[in-house]
Amino acid sequence: MNIRKLAWKNLFRRKSRAVFTGLGIFLGIGTFVAIASLTAQMEQAVRDKLDRYGANILVTPRTEDLSLGFGDIALGGTQVAHSRLTTADEKAIRGIGMKERLRSVVPFFMTAADASGKNLVWMGMPGTEIATARPWWKFTGAPFGEKGEVVLGSEAAAALDKGPGGTVTSKGKTFRVAGVLHPTGEKEDGMVIASIADVRSLAGSPVGVTFFEVAALCKDCPVEDIVAQIGDALPGARVSAIRQVVESRKAAVDQFRKLGLGVSAIVLAIGGLMVFVTVMGSVQERTKEIGVLRAVGFRRKAILSLLFWETGWVSLLSSVSGALVGVAAAMLAAPLFGVEMAEAAFFPAILGVAIGMALGLLGTIPPARRAAALSPTEAIRSL
Amino acid sequence: MNPFIRLENVSMLYGNNGVSAAALRGVSLSIDAGEYAVITGESGAGKSTLLTILGGLQVPSSGTVLMKGVDLSSLSADRLADFRRETIGFIFQAYHLLPYLTARENVMVPMSPLRTGAREKASLADGLLSSVGLSGKEERLPSELSGGECQRVAIARALVHDPSVLLADEPTGNLDSATGEQILDLFSGLHKAGKTVLMVTHNRGNLMRATRSIRLHDGLVAEDRG
Repeated sequence: MNIRKLAWKNLFRRKSRAVFTGLGIFLGIGTFVAIASLTAQMEQAVRDKLDRYGANILVTPRTEDLSLGFGDIALGGTQVAHSRLTTADEKAIRGIGMKERLRSVVPFFMTAADASGKNLVWMGMPGTEIATARPWWKFTGAPFGEKGEVVLGSEAAAALDKGPGGTVTSKGKTFRVAGVLHPTGEKEDGMVIASIADVRSLAGSPVGVTFFEVAALCKDCPVEDIVAQIGDALPGARVSAIRQVVESRKAAVDQFRKLGLGVSAIVLAIGGLMVFVTVMGSVQERTKEIGVLRAVGFRRKAILSLLFWETGWVSLLSSVSGALVGVAAAMLAAPLFGVEMAEAAFFPAILGVAIGMALGLLGTIPPARRAAALSPTEAIRSL
Repeated sequence: MNPFIRLENVSMLYGNNGVSAAALRGVSLSIDAGEYAVITGESGAGKSTLLTILGGLQVPSSGTVLMKGVDLSSLSADRLADFRRETIGFIFQAYHLLPYLTARENVMVPMSPLRTGAREKASLADGLLSSVGLSGKEERLPSELSGGECQRVAIARALVHDPSVLLADEPTGNLDSATGEQILDLFSGLHKAGKTVLMVTHNRGNLMRATRSIRLHDGLVAEDRG
């Protein structure tokens, strides 16, 4: 028999009280772990999507808008490019200090050209980079190969009345239609998409690049640093981070987390209060028992220790069970919050157990101090 | 030779809402080691108060309590707890066993804060239970024991730290006369073994076994027969 065992035995004697004490902690930790775990998964999903859905940096030639007019009469404007991008610039991008963070650098070349009698925009890109740069594209048929094949945007296919297996001619060259792009809602729906070499050939610009899309692995890295380094490497280019969508998603996750943590804090505070009230009630109820323990030679520290062990056991069991239920709830709810691959997040669970233990022990301090300060005189009046 | 216990002019006042009542009024007495003293008196005479003061559970309003030469009022709460554990064994009328613990575990309770091994504690508890005639009942809960058996467990618990003095408050008060006699036999045996025994009692039969009888009346020693 030691104090630990004495505490354990006493809990079994007062099961309903122990359950009630633990309930507050269980609910608080369950809520906290579920929300923390869910937000962690949502943040991970946002980061994964950011990486998976390709470019987060766009490199274009620097241009300036020149307004044309005379006096108060505006005659529109025009853009003047300071320089043009070329294939050589890809090497410069890949040579920056944070090059190990670059997952892909994809050159695009755009030109307007005839397509079987209709003037359409041709977009050229390396066929091998489709899966990296446009993973959301879906085709009827297949993506284009490196040379002599094209993919038609859905609107372009309708305008040309062509489908997979058909042909498109431009400037005397014939291209086989490998596939038709499913509608994306973007401008490529009206384009002819082909290998960058073919499109450059049509434009007569063998090394031209209209823009680069750079995908940086930006988990916890400042994308601005990469942007700055590319800007330094290409002084004639305009380098900008595509962050809007990601930032708005992140902001939504942040708001959800703040709300969740607020709710958790309230539930945890109630849990702490429940511990305080039940342990205080237990001390009142056990005045006689505490008196006997003091009479047989228990020091104040031993009484404190007894009560802390009792609450410690309850806190540990309720925190662990709350954390497990929280993790399970987060995994079940994850698909509803846009997380495709739900995973158990253990850090919030470990943190939750630590918080639950701390909460239980903090809630025990005032009643335990009262019990320890209980004079045997007071206690023995009931003996 | 210094007495084992000495009370010098001990008074105890209980106050409530400005009204105070004296439970003890200037009691002075000495008890030598190895005495078997019974304290008698009518209800409200101050018997239990005297016992709790002797046990260091209460501090008197005035006066001095010396046990083994130690002034109990000079000790801190924790030192007093240590002193109680090492020197005094308490036995209560209502046993005050912890109902969720077995007989063995109840006997082991005073050893809970100590770092002694579990087997050693259990072995000591079993030995004490055997010495009070409870062999084979170590695993029983208080609810599975008779009143006399519960009191035996309480006596075994009081003996755990081999105290010099046993303070018993009406130990046979809740027992039938036959069982009460058995418990008193136990006390006689402990006294013969060298323990100092102080017992508060209403039972006149106890006087026959004691070496000394102290009668309290209205908080004063009315009679002290050695």
